[in-house]
Amino acid sequence: MWNWCPPRKGQASLLASDPVAGAPAGTALAGELVTFTRRHSRAYNRTQTSVGDAFADIYTSLVALGCAAAIAVSFVGGLRDEMTRDNSMAASLVAGSPLVLPAPLLWTLLTYGGLAAILTVARRLGPIAVTGAQGAWWLPLPLDRRPMVLPTFRRRMVSVGLGATLGYVPFSIVTDLAVDVAEHALAAATFGAASVAVLGIAGLLQLGLVAPRPGRAAALLALAPLALLPGMAAAGWPLAAAVLAGVVVLVPLLRRAGQVTATELVRGGNVSGHAASAVFFLDTNELLRSMAGTPRPAAGSRARRFYARMTPGPFAGLVRADVTAFLRLQPLLAVPLLWLAACLAVVVADAGLPAWLQLIFLLVAGCGVASGMGTVARRTALLPELDALLPLPRAAVRSSRLLMPALALAAWMTLLTGALALLGAGGPLLPAIGALAGIGMGAGCLRGATRPPADWTLPPVDTPMGPVPRAQLSSLLRGLDVTVLSMLPAGIALFVGQALPVLVMVQAAVSLAAVLVVLLSGTNPASGGSSRS
Amino acid sequence: MTDPGAVLEAGQLVVGYGGAPVCGEVTAEVRAGQVLGVVGVNGAGKSTVVQTIAGRQPAISGDARILGLPVDPDSVHFRREVAAVFDDDLFFPSLSVTEHLLLVARGHSLADPGERVAAELEFFGLSTRADAIPDALSSGQRRRLLLAAGFIRPSALLILDEPEQRLDPGMRDALTGRIATYADGGGAVLLVTHDPRLLVRTATSALVIKDDVELVSAEEGAGFIAGL
Repeated sequence: MWNWCPPRKGQASLLASDPVAGAPAGTALAGELVTFTRRHSRAYNRTQTSVGDAFADIYTSLVALGCAAAIAVSFVGGLRDEMTRDNSMAASLVAGSPLVLPAPLLWTLLTYGGLAAILTVARRLGPIAVTGAQGAWWLPLPLDRRPMVLPTFRRRMVSVGLGATLGYVPFSIVTDLAVDVAEHALAAATFGAASVAVLGIAGLLQLGLVAPRPGRAAALLALAPLALLPGMAAAGWPLAAAVLAGVVVLVPLLRRAGQVTATELVRGGNVSGHAASAVFFLDTNELLRSMAGTPRPAAGSRARRFYARMTPGPFAGLVRADVTAFLRLQPLLAVPLLWLAACLAVVVADAGLPAWLQLIFLLVAGCGVASGMGTVARRTALLPELDALLPLPRAAVRSSRLLMPALALAAWMTLLTGALALLGAGGPLLPAIGALAGIGMGAGCLRGATRPPADWTLPPVDTPMGPVPRAQLSSLLRGLDVTVLSMLPAGIALFVGQALPVLVMVQAAVSLAAVLVVLLSGTNPASGGSSRS
Repeated sequence: MTDPGAVLEAGQLVVGYGGAPVCGEVTAEVRAGQVLGVVGVNGAGKSTVVQTIAGRQPAISGDARILGLPVDPDSVHFRREVAAVFDDDLFFPSLSVTEHLLLVARGHSLADPGERVAAELEFFGLSTRADAIPDALSSGQRRRLLLAAGFIRPSALLILDEPEQRLDPGMRDALTGRIATYADGGGAVLLVTHDPRLLVRTATSALVIKDDVELVSAEEGAGFIAGL
């Protein structure tokens, strides 16, 4: 039986019979359909959510935000006090460095890095995108697509603008000790406006008006002047310039947003949905998978001859397959090299950064690079059956998978510690410690890339400080634990300023232990994805 | 190669992934009132052929035209003239069956969307589930909803990718009649199917997708499906 209920007052109706068959495609009708979808979805969702649940969600979110803000304020205040006390190179890891980077240049480079990160992530997520359902039900309609894509894009603009503004506040407080609150606010607002402009640049790239490679190069070039603005915000005009840049980019983009191809809109929506789901479940492996993108066609034929050679046995065959997969799937060297450059810039800058903060930066960089080296392990973890095809023990499979990440990370750490040694930190044995640490970090990379997803059905454990989701935290930290442990001896060598022979031996023992732990215990590399298969 | 009477023309069309073809070159023409079946074994590339013609993935080489214009799923002309029903299980989780169909009906500026939606719900046996959300439907009912969305809107070319999947025998018969009626009304149909009965009762000819794509009669196509 047909039992259509008339729309409520103020609700969009699709039963109006004004347009007739063959009417031209219209922006107004597209907008009406979008409104209709949203209102009916909201109405349905309201029936599924009680006021109590909504209140509890809002309350919990506000409390969590308040706690995070309190921790951030406390950390930034402490750091600022320490930098105010000793604003010189004396406290640096490389106190006698022949190279000194002026602090304002370091802050500008880091600001540029932040904007480049926004550009990269925005381009992966769209930034103009539709969900799977919107792609299936809206995009095939013969209507203007602007009303279909603009609401989400506008929300993203607001989120990026607010998030970037708030995120820049602690950075501004730490990096400019001499200015007042109003000037920090001005700098943060300038960075927020520049970030919105960067989002617009990512949107322009999506239109495909320029070939991808020159487009990306031009976009990265355009970020340079934007990165200069927050540091000069006290003058007032940089905020106006950032806003003007945003207007110049966004006006043509908003006019042409409906011309982004359906394929590109759906791709962005798929990545966004995948990434949002990974963030919701705090699954970093899924997040990295979602952001990985498709391998470049040029990489698809790499190492073809190497792979085609005869192998003496299954282990050699597996190693050859893993090496080939690493060469084909692993993203460009640019990210590890950028981390390397950032590490060196942080330690040679005359910004008064305390040694412990520089070490934390190196640690974060090491963990970031190590996570990025696990592409092959993350992929193979999704297909556990493949590993079972060859007559090899589990440890052999894991050692084959470990080989390339360990070699790559050993090379990265050797470069980093070698450069630091040349700058005067740690002495001649430091690169040896770095190379050994890289092998342990490779083990951490494999451990993290093959960790099973956290089981959120397990109850939290009661502690004197309240319930703690111990099982989930343990799962989330799996991999990072070994990476951090492997970097500790190298960090101690940097902190004490001398890579003593005993530290080299300790580093060798720690890295060996890390490799053995990952090879001989824990979950099968396959089990990381077994629940998804 | 443009023929004024042709709705779909494909000339030396090569389809595949990453530059590697999955089947031989496809050359075919579908005129108004015709139903072209597409048959082949699993993995032969049937769906890849129709996905390419529907503009969902780029062709490796060759040419495909709809009403004389190149395939471009982003052009309003293409979206108005081509209806495609694939097995995409994508729905708005909070919209009912009726609301999904109303979106399509209104988006195509149908004169009386409410009545048209009611008629499609009746035809596809979804009237009793009109207010249900997609998650509350069975997989067969979701398939019916997708088919209803394909048939409710006007189009010159209807692309159906294995529409018989998950349908009961009665619904398959009804669908057979519906496809025939659509073609009798001047529409052209590209029908991928594994059902020899559906093919024989609707198609005017069939493409057998393999390393060398062949154009055969519907009966021969049905024989191929049946393994004769």
